[in-house]
Amino acid sequence: MENVKIKSKNLNVYYGEKQALFDVNLDLNEKEVTALIGPSGCGKSTFIRCINRMNDVIDICKVSGNIEIDGVEINDKNLDVVSLRERVGMVFQKPNPFPKSIYDNISYGPKIHGKGETKSELDEIVENSLKKAALWEEVKDRLDEPGTGLSGGQQQRLCIARAISVNPEVILMDEPCSALDPIATAKIEELIDELKKTYTIVIVTHSMAQAVRVSQKTGFFHLGKLIEVGKTEKIFKNPDNKMTQDYITGRFG
Amino acid sequence: MSNEHTVKSYEEELRYLIDSVIKMGSLTESQLVDSMDAIIKVDKDSIDKIIKSDDEINKFRSKIDTQIMTLLVKRAPMAIDLRETISSLKISQDLERIGDLSKSNAKKVKPLPLDLPEELLGNLKRLGELVIKQLNDVLDSYVNKNYDKAKEVWEKDEQVDDLTYIAMESVIDFLSKDKKNLDFSTHLIFATKNLERAGDHITNIAESICFLIKGEYLKGSRPKGKVIEK
Repeated sequence: MENVKIKSKNLNVYYGEKQALFDVNLDLNEKEVTALIGPSGCGKSTFIRCINRMNDVIDICKVSGNIEIDGVEINDKNLDVVSLRERVGMVFQKPNPFPKSIYDNISYGPKIHGKGETKSELDEIVENSLKKAALWEEVKDRLDEPGTGLSGGQQQRLCIARAISVNPEVILMDEPCSALDPIATAKIEELIDELKKTYTIVIVTHSMAQAVRVSQKTGFFHLGKLIEVGKTEKIFKNPDNKMTQDYITGRFG
Repeated sequence: MSNEHTVKSYEEELRYLIDSVIKMGSLTESQLVDSMDAIIKVDKDSIDKIIKSDDEINKFRSKIDTQIMTLLVKRAPMAIDLRETISSLKISQDLERIGDLSKSNAKKVKPLPLDLPEELLGNLKRLGELVIKQLNDVLDSYVNKNYDKAKEVWEKDEQVDDLTYIAMESVIDFLSKDKKNLDFSTHLIFATKNLERAGDHITNIAESICFLIKGEYLKGSRPKGKVIEK
C-alpha cells in the first residue's frame, strides 16, 4: 500500500531572476526509493534541496508553493529548520566527513540534537548507525582514526551512517555514487535496498542503470519542469513522454 | 525512432541489428516459397538447395544473437531501444523455426510420387500461399513499424487454422480411398501441419512487433480456427 510521505504542490524556485523549478507537483512514497533523473541544471538537485530547506542558506533563493511531509507544510516560517533536518538527512555527491574521528563523525549529530546523553548511549548509536550503513565490520577497531582516512566508498557510507545517526525519516542522496568505483557503488546500492525498509529515500542520479536498479519510482526533470513521473519499470521500458524516451535512450541533442 | 542517438556508433549498431532481422526475414520467406514450390511441383531437384539455405538462416540467427549480446553489454538499452533489442531476439528465434519447418517440408518432397492428383494439392497450395502472404505482411509491418498491420496478421491466423483443417481433410479423404496412398499421404499431413505451425510462429512475430511498437502485449486470446478447436 503506497503511502505518500512527501508531497510537493506547485513548487516554484527562483535563484534571483532565474526560475529553477516550475510548478512541480510530485508525491514521494514512504519507505520507497524515488530516483530523480534529468540533464545537468534541470532542477532535480534544487528539488531535493527544498525537502530539507537547504535552499534557505542561499540569499537570492526564493521558494513558492508547498512541500508537505506527513501532511505538514515545511515552508512555514515558524517551522524549526534544525528539527526538519533531523528528520530529513542528506548525503552529497562527494563524501564530506568531518575532519574528526570516525566515532565523532557519527556522534556529533546525536549530541547536538540532544540524543545519547551518556557515553554508553552514544556508543550504541555509533555502533548501530555504522552497522546500518554496513561499515561497522570494517571500522570497529579503529573508531578513533580520522574519517577522512577511509576510502571514498567507506567515507560515503560513513556519511550515510552520520545521516542515520539522528534517526531521520527521509534520506536525500544527491548523486551519492558518482565519485565511487563499481564495487563501492554496489555496496551503497545494496545499502539503499536495506535502508528503504526504514526510510523514505530520494536519490538524484545521472546513471540510468542505477535509477533502474535502486528505485521504485522515477521522475524525469527537464529545464526545471517535472516532465514525467511513474513506476521505474514503466519509465524505463515504455515511457509516455517522448522527451523522457529521448533522454533515457541517449537521443538528447 | 525519430531522433538519432547522440552516440553515432550506437545508432549504427541498432540499425545493423534491425537490418539483420530484415535480411533474415527475407531469406526465410524465400525458403518458404521455394519449399512450397517444391511440394506443389514435386520438384525433387530443389530439395538440396532448400536444405542448404537453412544453414544461411541459422547463421543469421547466431549473428543476431551476437549483435544483441554486444548491444546489451555495451549500451544497456532502455525503453524503445530495449524493446527493439528484445523483439529482435524473439523474432529471429521464430524466423529460425519457420526455416526449420520449410526445411522439413522440403525433405517431404522426396517420397512423393510425381503424378500427384491436382485435387489433392489444391488446398495445400492455398494454405501455403496464405502462410507466405502472412509472413510477407508481418515482415512488412516490421520494416514499417505498422502496428495495425501486425495485429491484422495476428487475427488472420484463424484463416490459416481453417485452411489447415480443410487441407488435412482432403488428404485424409484421399488416403481413405486407397491404403496404398498411406506412405506419401502421411508426409503430406505432416507438411500441412508444418505450415500451420509456421503460421503460429508468424503470429508470435506479430505479437513481438506489437510489443515493440506500443510496449505492451496484445490483449485477449487470438481467434482460433477449426484445426485448433478440434
